[in-house]
Parts: sequence; C-alpha cells; structure tokens
Amino acid sequence: MGGPPWLAWTFASVVIVVAAYCLTRLLVSWRQHRPSDRRIDAIHVLMGVAMAGMLVPRLRVFWAGGWEVVFGISAAWFAWLAIREFRGRATVGGRPGHHLQHVLACGAMLYMFLAAATAAKTGGPAMSGMAADAAHAPTLALVLAFALFGYVIWTADRLSSLAPVAALAAGAAPVPVFAGAAAGGGASPAVGGEDGHGTPGDDGQAPPSHGQQVPLSPRLAACCEIAMGVTMGYALILML
Amino acid sequence: MASQAADARARAGWLRSIGAVREESWTAPDVRRRLQLVLGGIWLLDGVLQFQAFMFSKGFSQLLDATAAGNPVVVADPINWSAKIIADHPTATDAIFALIQVGIGLGIAWRPTRKLALGASVVWALAVWWLGEGLGGVLNGAASPANGAPGAVVIYALLAVLLWPGRQDRAAPFVAGRFTGATVARALWLVLWGSLGYLALAPATRAPKALGGMVAGMASGEPGWLASLDDHLGAFLTSNGPAMALVLATVLALVAVSVFLPRPAARAGVVLAIATAACLWLAEGLGGMLAGGGTDPNSGPLLALLALAFWPLASATSAATGQQKTTAATQPVSPEGA
Repeated sequence: MGGPPWLAWTFASVVIVVAAYCLTRLLVSWRQHRPSDRRIDAIHVLMGVAMAGMLVPRLRVFWAGGWEVVFGISAAWFAWLAIREFRGRATVGGRPGHHLQHVLACGAMLYMFLAAATAAKTGGPAMSGMAADAAHAPTLALVLAFALFGYVIWTADRLSSLAPVAALAAGAAPVPVFAGAAAGGGASPAVGGEDGHGTPGDDGQAPPSHGQQVPLSPRLAACCEIAMGVTMGYALILML
Repeated sequence: MASQAADARARAGWLRSIGAVREESWTAPDVRRRLQLVLGGIWLLDGVLQFQAFMFSKGFSQLLDATAAGNPVVVADPINWSAKIIADHPTATDAIFALIQVGIGLGIAWRPTRKLALGASVVWALAVWWLGEGLGGVLNGAASPANGAPGAVVIYALLAVLLWPGRQDRAAPFVAGRFTGATVARALWLVLWGSLGYLALAPATRAPKALGGMVAGMASGEPGWLASLDDHLGAFLTSNGPAMALVLATVLALVAVSVFLPRPAARAGVVLAIATAACLWLAEGLGGMLAGGGTDPNSGPLLALLALAFWPLASATSAATGQQKTTAATQPVSPEGA
C-alpha cells in the first residue's frame, strides 16, 4: 500500500528540486534585495525536506522527529496571518485566501506526521508505509487531499495572470501599479515590497520600496505551489 | 491619505503591488469557468488515485478484464486486448494513465491549454468508458444507478462538451447550454437522467436483494462510519429493494423532465438532482476511494456537478453576457504565493 519505490523516489525528487529552488530564491532575495515572498519560500524548503524524508526514509538527512512542532507552529502562524488578512480586507471589501492555502498545507503536513507517529506507536509500518492500514482518520486524509487539489487547480488557473520575469525586467509591467484603483477602490498607489523582517507587505504594514528591482519569478513560485500540492495530495492518498 | 494608502496596500498583494499581476488582461472566473475548474480538480484527483499501489498490480488489469464479461464480442475483445497489455506492462501503462489524467486536470486549470485539455478529456473519457468500464455495464445488464451507471467516466466527456468555452456563447437559461444551445443540453440531460431512471427499473436494480447487496458490498474496507452507513442502507434495501427501486426510478424521471419546466420547478429539479447524486455517492461508497482501490470518485460528484451546470439563471441574457467581468470590476485576485 505504500506505493512503488520508484514512484516515491520520483515524487521525492520533485519536492527536493522545489526545496532547493526555494532555498535559492531565499538566498538571492536576501543577497540582491529582489522581492519575493520569503515566508512561502521558507515553508517550501521545510516542506520539501520533510516530505522527501516521508516518502523515502533514506532521505531523512536531518532529524526524524519534531516536524509536528515545526508544522504545528507554521500552521498557527499562517492562520494568524490569514485572520489578519481577513480582517484587513473585510473592511475594504477584499477577499481572503492567500494564507489559507498555507494553513491547509501545513495542516496536511501536521496530519501526516501525527498519523505516522501514531502508526509507529501502534506497531504499524510508520512512514515508509504511509499506508493506510495503520493510519488514522482516512476520511480526513481524503478531505485534505480534496482541499489541496482544489488549491492546486485554483493556483493553476491564476498562473497566466502572473507576469513572466522577462516582462517585468523589460518594464513591460508597470512598477508600481495602482493597485487600489485596480481593486475597484481609490487611486492610491500601492508601494510593494518586503517588510523589515523579510516578509512582503501584503498584511498592511508599510514596506520599504525596492524601486525597480525585478522580483523573483512569481510564475515559478506558483509552479512550486502546484508541485508541492500534487505531491502532498499523493502522500495523503497513500494514507487512505 | 495615509488611510487610503493603507487600504490600497491591504487590498493589493505584494505581487500586484510590484506589477507582477497583469490585472488588465485578467478575467475573474465566471460560473462556467468555476465548473470547469471543479472538473479539472476531479481529473487531478483521478490521476493521483491512479498512482495508488493497487493500480500497479495485476489486480488492476483483472478488474478491467472483468468488465468485458457479458458484453458483445465487438465490445469485449478490445477490452480483453487492452487488459492484456496492461497486465503485461502494469507499471508503464498505469504510470502513463496517471500522468495523462493529471495532465488533463492541470491542463483544464491552466487557461492557455483548457480547450486542448477539455478536448483530450473527451477522447480519453470515451476510451476509458469502453476499455476500462465496459461501457458502464449498459450492454451486459449489470448497470445500475447505484454502481455508477452509465459509467462515471462518460459523464466527464459530457461535462467537457457542455462546459466547452466556445468563441460565441448562445443565450441559454443555464450555463450548460451556452455552447451547445439550450435544446441540445436539455436533450442530453433528459437522455442521461432518463436512462438512469430506466436502469433503476432494470433487473440489476429491481430484483429482490439486488440493490441491497450492491450497497452492502461497498462496505468492505471502508472506514467505520461509511461501512456502517452502507451496511444499514444495504439491510434496508434488501428488505425493500423493489419498492425503493421504483421510488428511485420515479425520482430520476422527475429530475429528467424538470429541466423542461418553468424556472422555480427547474431549480427544484436541480436541487433534487444534487440530493439524489449525494445519496447515490454514499451508496457507491464514495467510489471506493476510502477502501484504497478507487480509481475515481464514481458518478455521484459528477452528477452533482452536471446538475449545477443546469442551474437556471436569472435570465438567458445574463448567462450569455455575465462572464466577462474583469477583476477591476469585481473582486481582486490574490495570486500571490499561488
């Protein structure tokens, strides 16, 4: 029930590539001050490493335990950001959703680690068998998989709304854009970028401007979301 | 002024604020697009389900081979042929099947490829309907609304056609009629639900204990709550099978004709269709997904999705013109991090 090893290796390779790419984004963003959502990149690095070890036990290069705490805290943090996002946008007619995706992903990771830990305690096949027999609450796994696939599809639908880096570099996309007007409200220019703690200013805090710095590819960031979501969904389906 | 700027920042994600979101060329998903996305999500789910360990085993090819039984030779021979190929090369064929379905799902979701993916989904669905589902058991007398007749996968093809993003939309009182026109869409609805009603009266469903046995048989391997539900439902249907088959046939017939009725009755018909689809899905054991051997969610969710596409809109005009709303006029898109 754990799936063919070659398939586990394939999915593990995908998440390792995503993690490596996101780590590179973090470094480039930090060194060259290029805009990127560092929170998302960081969580993808963690998820990639954790999921690779989950799919292929030989790839547990860091530590075996403690991931529950990491993803529990991450889920709580993104939930807090989602609440702030919801509150902030509710007053101006916007729509929450951005951070909910990551609450869900962190929650799914937490579920998988807790289920595996329970399976290990009860003498089950542990993570190598993410497998079903010993897993608890398979219905929850299916619900989480549904939700993750929903977000994957939602992300893919919006992929073509993101400008390619070449267009951004050539100045084809205006910087900054009058986002307030675009959202149907006033005409205040939105000055974007990252806040002083390495997080972008979508939570309403005043971020410093980065001038004409070309952001790191938003399309590739979205592709990372998709790859991570599909792999996580696969891991959840294995737990059915 | 500071308040306005704060509001603008709150509205705009960081990607939009740096010009990475192309607002001007972006249209928010309309109802049809949202239904397409749900269809894409189900294809993606199918693809990932196809990656389960069971699908790489001989058991999968035996499952396909079994659908040939009772079918005419002209139908059965290709099924046996394809099952043999899958049995000889289980890993390669199953991986290809899974990748195709994942590709269709993501292709429908990504706007530049949605037509290509929808077209491919029709071809793939029809091939699977024949070679994988034995035409849903329609020709061998095994088909029943409670076991996914007339074949869940053929509903994928039907949905792809009805939700096709044509260049010129027709005025229709529901989304499903925009491409084919309301008359054709209604006829397809009538054929589908009418055939389900007919199959509910066929011996495979109406025979004593047939329906009960079918539903109770789904309980094996399911989690406790679903197994218990299917056990109880199966026991009830075993006692009252023929009568419940008649009730089911009546309900399905009502749904079939409801699309021709005035809007309030048509809406009631759609609600009834969704409720029926939900009941059928539970009777189908959620397609066996929780038992670890499901290749798809079966017909329940697809029938519900189809019903949503027939939800009567306020006016035919709004169906034809209400789709091209830009985000500037509606809600902001939040693709950051997406």
